[in-house]
Amino acid sequence: MSDSLITETVKDAVEIVKDHADDVHVHDVHAGDDHSGDHGGHHTSLGLSNTKLAMWLFLGSECLLFGGLISTYMLYRNRHSENLGPDQLWDIPFTSATSFVLLTSSLTMVLAVSAANRKDLRNAKIYLSVTALLGGLFLAGQIYEFTVFYREGLGFTTSLFSSSFFTLTGFHGVHVSIGIIMLVALIGMLSKEKVSGDDAEAVEMVGLYWHFVDIVWIIIFTVIYLIEFIK
Amino acid sequence: MTYDLSMSHQSPTTKMQAVETTTTLKSVTSSRLVRTLVAGSFAALLAGCATDAPQDTWQPKGSNARMINDLDWVVFSIAGVVGVVVFSVLAFALWKYRDRGQPIPEQTHGKPALEIGLTILPALILVGIAIPTVGTIMDLAETNDTECIVNVTGQQWWWEIDYPVQDGCGGIEEPIVTSGQMVIEAGTKVLVRGTSRDVIHSWWIPSLNGKRDMVPGRIHTVRLEADEPGIFAGQCTEFCGLSHANMRMEVIAMNSTDFAIWKANQVQDYVAPVAGSLAAEGESTFISQCSRCHQVDGLTDSNDELIISRPDQNVWSGAAPNLTNFMTRNTFAGASWDLLSKECRPGVWDASPSTIGAAYLDGVTDSCLNEVELREWLRNAPAKKPMYTDPESLEATNGLVRGMPYLALSEDQIDQLVAYLLERK
Amino acid sequence: MAIIERPTETPDVTNRGTRPAPKASTNYGYLRRPVETTGWRSWAFTVDHKKIGIMYGAVAMFFFILGGLEAALIRLQLAGPNGTILSADKYNQMFTMHATTMVFLFVMPMAAAFANYFIPLQIGARDVAFPRLNALSLWVFVFGGVFLNTSWFLGGGADGGWFMYAPNSSVPFSPTNGVDFWGLGLQITGIASLVGAINLIVTVLNMRAPGMSMMKMPIFTWMAFVVQMLLLFAIPVITVALFLLMFQRSFGAQFFSVEAGADPLLWQHLFWIFGHPEVYILVLPSFGIISEVLPVFSKKPLFGYPFVVFSGAAIGFVGWGVWAHHMFASGLGPVSVAVFSVATMAIAVPTGVKIINWTLTLWGGKLTFTTAMLFAVGLIVQFTIGGLSGVTHAVAPSDTQQTDTYYIVAHFHYVIFGGAVLGLFSGFYYWWPKVFGKLLSESLGKWNFWLMIAGMNLTFGPMHIIGLQGQPRRMYRWTEFRAGQGFFNLGFWNLVATIGTFVLGVGILFFLVNIWVTHRPNSKTPPAPADPWDARSLEWITSSPPKEYNFARTPQVSALDEFFHRKYEDVGEGDKHEYVQKMTGEEVIQFEEDNADPNIHLPAPSYWPMVLALALPVMAYGVIYNTLLIVAGGAIATMAMFGWALEPADAEASDFDPPVEGDETSKELSNV
Ligand code: HEA
Ligand code: HEA
Ligand code: HEC
Ligand code: CUA
Ligand SMILES: [Cu+2]
Repeated sequence: MSDSLITETVKDAVEIVKDHADDVHVHDVHAGDDHSGDHGGHHTSLGLSNTKLAMWLFLGSECLLFGGLISTYMLYRNRHSENLGPDQLWDIPFTSATSFVLLTSSLTMVLAVSAANRKDLRNAKIYLSVTALLGGLFLAGQIYEFTVFYREGLGFTTSLFSSSFFTLTGFHGVHVSIGIIMLVALIGMLSKEKVSGDDAEAVEMVGLYWHFVDIVWIIIFTVIYLIEFIK
Repeated sequence: MTYDLSMSHQSPTTKMQAVETTTTLKSVTSSRLVRTLVAGSFAALLAGCATDAPQDTWQPKGSNARMINDLDWVVFSIAGVVGVVVFSVLAFALWKYRDRGQPIPEQTHGKPALEIGLTILPALILVGIAIPTVGTIMDLAETNDTECIVNVTGQQWWWEIDYPVQDGCGGIEEPIVTSGQMVIEAGTKVLVRGTSRDVIHSWWIPSLNGKRDMVPGRIHTVRLEADEPGIFAGQCTEFCGLSHANMRMEVIAMNSTDFAIWKANQVQDYVAPVAGSLAAEGESTFISQCSRCHQVDGLTDSNDELIISRPDQNVWSGAAPNLTNFMTRNTFAGASWDLLSKECRPGVWDASPSTIGAAYLDGVTDSCLNEVELREWLRNAPAKKPMYTDPESLEATNGLVRGMPYLALSEDQIDQLVAYLLERK
Repeated sequence: MAIIERPTETPDVTNRGTRPAPKASTNYGYLRRPVETTGWRSWAFTVDHKKIGIMYGAVAMFFFILGGLEAALIRLQLAGPNGTILSADKYNQMFTMHATTMVFLFVMPMAAAFANYFIPLQIGARDVAFPRLNALSLWVFVFGGVFLNTSWFLGGGADGGWFMYAPNSSVPFSPTNGVDFWGLGLQITGIASLVGAINLIVTVLNMRAPGMSMMKMPIFTWMAFVVQMLLLFAIPVITVALFLLMFQRSFGAQFFSVEAGADPLLWQHLFWIFGHPEVYILVLPSFGIISEVLPVFSKKPLFGYPFVVFSGAAIGFVGWGVWAHHMFASGLGPVSVAVFSVATMAIAVPTGVKIINWTLTLWGGKLTFTTAMLFAVGLIVQFTIGGLSGVTHAVAPSDTQQTDTYYIVAHFHYVIFGGAVLGLFSGFYYWWPKVFGKLLSESLGKWNFWLMIAGMNLTFGPMHIIGLQGQPRRMYRWTEFRAGQGFFNLGFWNLVATIGTFVLGVGILFFLVNIWVTHRPNSKTPPAPADPWDARSLEWITSSPPKEYNFARTPQVSALDEFFHRKYEDVGEGDKHEYVQKMTGEEVIQFEEDNADPNIHLPAPSYWPMVLALALPVMAYGVIYNTLLIVAGGAIATMAMFGWALEPADAEASDFDPPVEGDETSKELSNV
C-alpha cells in the first residue's frame, strides 16, 4: 500500500464519518454515477439516499433493543450462586483481545468502504474478506468463552445472571454472525456483479451495520466486563 | 353516611357526562326524540348509582380512603368544569357556524398569542391538580403512625391473613392465622404487610384505602383504618388466573372489647369432638383426607403427635387455608361464598356499628350454616370454583394442584366433615 | 414489467427530451418478477402501496369484526350475575384475545392501511421508498395475525390479559400454548410494524414532492410520521420483553421466576415502556385523519397547524416518560409515583392543544355535517371524555381506587373507540370515494354514526359507574352480593352495557351494509365526482381511484392546502377576504393530466415478500412444536432473502420519482 493510498483512504474515511455526522450529503459519490445502471440521480428530499436513511433508522431501533437487553442484564447481574458470578468467570485479558479483534475489523471495514468509493473493487473485496475473517475470529472467541463458562458450570438456565448474560451476548453474537453472512454475500455479489444498485453504497450499508455492532460491543464490554474489573 | 350524600358523591362524573352529551347532541340535531332520550338518560344517570354497593369507591369509611376521596372531589370537579366549558364552546361553534350559505371564511392559519394562551391555561390548571396530588401521595405513604401489623399473603385464589406476635393490635402473644377475613379494631391504624406465594395479586378494600399489588418476592405495605365498626368488602384486583373473579376478602372492624374477645378466641386450645359423635368421625376423616393440606392447630394423630399439614407437597403455592377457627369467619373459599345461610346473613352484614362486633363473634351457628354451598364445596371444589386440579394435566406444576382438588368423598364423609367443621370456632 | 408508458399522443410539453425506457434487466435471480396486472396474482405479489393499503384495511376490518364478536361474547357473559356462557378459562382467553386482536390486528394495521395509502399521495410521491418491504410488512402482519389466531384451535388462546403480567404468564400458571402463540404472534406482527415504520419514515423524509417542506406537509402525514417514529423505538422494547418471555417458557430461563430471585416488575416496566407509547400509536393516526376532515368541512385551514404538528411531536416525546402510571398500585416508591403522576398530567397539555385547535378550526367556519364530519366531531367529544377520565387516573391516589376496575375500561374504550376508531370511520367516509371511486351512502352513514355513538355511550358510559362503584375488570362473572341494591344497581348497568354493545354492533353493521349497497354488482351508485368534498390536500389532485402511478405528473407544491389554493383565489382587498373559485377540482386534475410526465417507471411486483413472510410463522410453530420447523423456516427465509437480493434492480429508490434528467428543482426545493 503506497503512502498516498493510505492518506487517500484516511481522508475518505474522515469524509464518510463527517458525512454521517451531519446527515447531509456533501459528496454523494454515487449519485449520478453512470455505473448504477439505468437509474439516474437520486432525487431525495433530504439528499440522503433512501437505503442509507433506512439503515440509520434501523440502527436507531436496534439501540433500544440492546438497551432493553443491557438493562435486563444490569438488573440481574448480581443474582447468581456464590461461585458462578462474573468475578469468578471473567477472563478480562482474553475478552479484551477478542474485543480488540472486533475493533480492528471496524478499521478494515472503513478501508473497504473507502476502496469501494474509489471504485477499487479488488481492494474492497480484500478488506471485506479481512473484516469477515476478523469477525469470525471474534465469534470463535465468544464461542470458546461460552464453552469455558459452560464447563465451569454456567449454563443458560443456571441463574438469572447466566440467562441474561447469555441472552445479551448471544444477541450480539447473532448480530455479528448476520454481519458476517452479509459480508460474505456481498463479496460474492460483488464478484459476480450481482449487486443491484450501487456497489459502493452496498458496501457502505454493510459497513454501517458492522460499525454499529462494534460500538454495541464496546458498550457491552464496558458494562459487563470492565465494570466487574473496576470494582 | 346517608343515602343522599352518597348519591351526590357518586354522581359528578356521570352527571357531567350526561350534560356534555346533551349539549353536543343537541347542537348537531335538535330532533325531539334525541332530546328526550338524552334527558331520560341524564335523569337515569343522576339516580343511577347503587346506593349501597359494598365496594363503592366514593363512600370512604376510613381516613386513607377519605384522603383519596377528598382529592377525587378536586380532580373530578376540575375535569367536570373543563368538560362543560369545552363542550359548550364546541356546541356553540357547531350551531353558530353551520352552513347557512355564508361566504367562504377567511383562510386564517391561527393566532399564535391565542394559541400560547390556550396552551398555558391547561398547564396551569394541571399544576393546580398536581400540587394536592403530590401532597396526598406523600401523606398516604406514611406508615410510622401505625399501631398494629397484619400480614396478608395472596395465592391462587385466596388470602391468608396472619397476625405476628407484637405489642401492637393491643398485644398479640401467639400468632393468629386465618383466611379471607381480616379482623381489626376500629379507629386503629393498621399496617398491612403483603406479599404473594405465586403470582401477583392486589389487595383492595375500597372503603378503607386504594389498592396495593402483592408481588411474590417483595413486601408491600398499605395502611388501613376504619372509622367505625363494620364489614368492608374487597376484591383481588390484579388478574391472577382462572379464579381471579373468585378471590375476595373482607375487613371486619370491631370495637376494642370485641376485638379482644376475637383475639382470645383465635388462640384457644383445640377442643376435640365428643367421642362417638358424628363430628368425631369427621375428625378422623379430616385427618385422613384433609390434614395433609389444611392445618387445624392442636389436632393430634393416634400417637398424640401434633399434626402439621404439608400443603407444600400438594399445592403449588405451598399453602391451604388454616381451618382451626373456620366457623368464626362467615365466608369461605376466597370469601366467595357465604358460610351464613341467606336468612342469617343480614343479621351480620346489615348490623349497625354498635352491634356488628357481637353479631360477628357469634360465628356460624348450627342453624345458620349455609350447608348447601359448603357441601357443594366438599363434594367437588373445582366444580364450584374454577381451579387447576385435573390430575391429568399437572405436568406443568410437577403434579401440584392450584386450588383444592376433587377428593371423591362419599356423602357420609361429607356429613361427618360438616359436623366436624361446624365445631371449628 | 410494469412500466407504464404514456399514450403516445401525450404532448411533450416539457421538452425535457424523453429518456429511453429503462431496459429490462436480464438478471432474474431464481424467478422472474411477476407481471400480472389483474387477478389474484396482481394483489398477492403487488408492491403498489395503494393495493397494499387496501389489503391492510380489509384484513384489519376482518379482525375488527372478530375482536368485536369476542367483545360481544364478553358482554353477553357479563349481562347478568354468575354468567355461564363462557367458562372462566374461555373468558380469560376471550378478553386477552379481544384486546390483542383489537389493538394489534385492527387499530394498528388499519392505521397502517391509511398511512400506506395516503402518505405517498399526500406528499406527491409515486410509491413508498421500499415497495417490496411494504409488501413484506403486509404479509408478515397477515400471517402473524392468522398464526396468533390459530391458537384457538390448538389448545386455546392466551389467557393472561393483554399486558400478560409475569409471573402469571409462566408455564405453571398458563400451561397451554396460548401464551406462546401470543408472544410469537406479537413478535411477528412487531416485525411488520418495524419494517413499515422504517419504510414510511424514509418515504416522508425523502420522497416529498418539490416544494413540500416538512411544514407544508398535510397533517395526517405528519401524525402518521410521528406514529412511525414511536413504533421505531417502541417495538424493540416489547421485542426484548417477548424474547425474555419466550426464553422463559420455551427454553427454561427464569427471567420472571421469583423462586430464582427474579423481579416480576421487570416485565411490567418493559411492557409499559412499550405500552404507553403504543396507546398514542393507536390514536395519533386518527387525530391526523380528523385534522384533515375538520378543515375540509369547515372550509377553513386547520387552526394553528404548527401547534398541532408540534403538539403531536410533543405527545410523541412526553409519551416515553409516563409509563409507570400503569403501575401506581404496583408498589413503586412514593417519589416515583409522584414523578410519573405529574408527568402524566403534562401529557394532557399537548393533547388539549389539539382539542382546542380543532374547536377553533370549526369556529368561524362554514360547517357541513357529512358523515365524515360527524365522526370527526364525535371523536372530539368522545375522546375528550376519555381524556378527562385519563386525567383522573393520572392523580395517583385516585388511581389506586380506579386501577383494574371498569372505570379504567371505560377510560380506554372512550379514548380508543371514541378516539382511534371514530377517527378511522371518519377516514373511511372521507376517503372512500378517493380509494374506490364511489361515495358511500350518506343516509346509511348517518345511521351508522348515530347508532355507533349511542351504542358506544350505552356500552362504555355505564362502565364509569360500575367501575367507581367497585366492579373490577377481568372477572369472568360478577356477584349480586357486590352489586348493591336498588333498581340502578351494578347489575342494571352491566345489562345496559351489554345492550349497548348490540346497538353498537348494529351501528357497525350499517357500515358493512353501506359498503355492500354501494358496491354490489348491480349497484346504482354512480361514480364519485373527482372532488366530492371540495378538499384541500394533495391526494385529491389526481383521479379517483388514483392511477397506478398516482400522479400524472409530480405535483409542484407551494402551499399547505395546495389543492384549495389551486382552486380558489382571494380577491379581497386589504383585510377583507373574498374567495372566488378560479378552477374546479376536475379542471385542476385535468390540467395536471394535460401536462403529464412523458413516461413513468414503476417497480414490478415480486414473489419474495410473501415467501419471506411465510417463513416467520413456520419458524414460530417450530418454537412451539418442533425445532426442525425452525430450521425449515430459516431455510425458506434465507432462500427468500437471496431471491430478493438477486432480483433485478427495479425496486431502487430512483424508480419512484419520474426519472427525469436535468431536473434539479425537485431536489433543491424539497430540502427547505
Ligand atoms: C388511544 C389510547 C389512549 C389515549 C390517547 C390515552 C390517553 C391518556 N391516558 Fe390512558 N390508557 C389507555 C389508552 C389511552 N390513554 C389504555 C388502553 C389504558 C389501559 C391499559 C390497560 O390497563 O389495559 C390506559 C390507562 C391509563 C392509565 C392507567 C390506569 C390504570 O390502569 O390504573 C392512566 C393513568 O394515568 C392513563 C392516563 C391517560 C392520560 C392522562 C391520557 C391523556 O393523554 C389524555 C389527554 C386528553 C385530555 C385531558 C382531554 C382533552 C384536553 C383538554 C380539553 C385540555 C384541558 C384539560 C385539562 C386542563 C385537564 N391511561
Ligand atoms: C382497539 C381497541 C379496542 C376496541 C376497538 C374495543 C372494542 C370493544 N370492547 Fe374492548 N378492550 C380492549 C380494547 C378494545 N376494545 C382492551 C385493550 C381491553 C383490556 C383487555 C384486558 O384486560 O386484557 C378490553 C377489554 C374489554 C372489556 C373488559 C373485559 C374484562 O375486563 O373482563 C370489555 C367488556 O365489556 C370490552 C368490550 C368491548 C366492546 C363491547 C367493544 C366494541 O366496541 C366492539 C364493537 C364491534 C363489534 C360488535 C363487531 C363488528 C360488528 C358486527 C360484525 C355486527 C354484528 C355484531 C353484533 C350485532 C354484536 N373490552
Ligand atoms: C391438596 C390440598 C387440599 C386438600 C387435600 C383439601 N383441601 Fe381444602 N382447600 C385447599 C385449598 C388450596 C383451598 C383454598 C382454595 C381457594 O379458596 O381458592 C382450600 C379451601 C378449603 C376451604 C375454605 C377455607 C377458607 O377459609 O376459605 C374449606 C372449608 C376446605 N378447603 C375444606 C377441606 C376439607 C374438609 C378437606 C378434606 C376433605 C379439604 N379441604 C382437603 C386445599 C386442599
Ligand atoms: Cu388474586 Cu386476582
Ligand atoms: Cu399509559
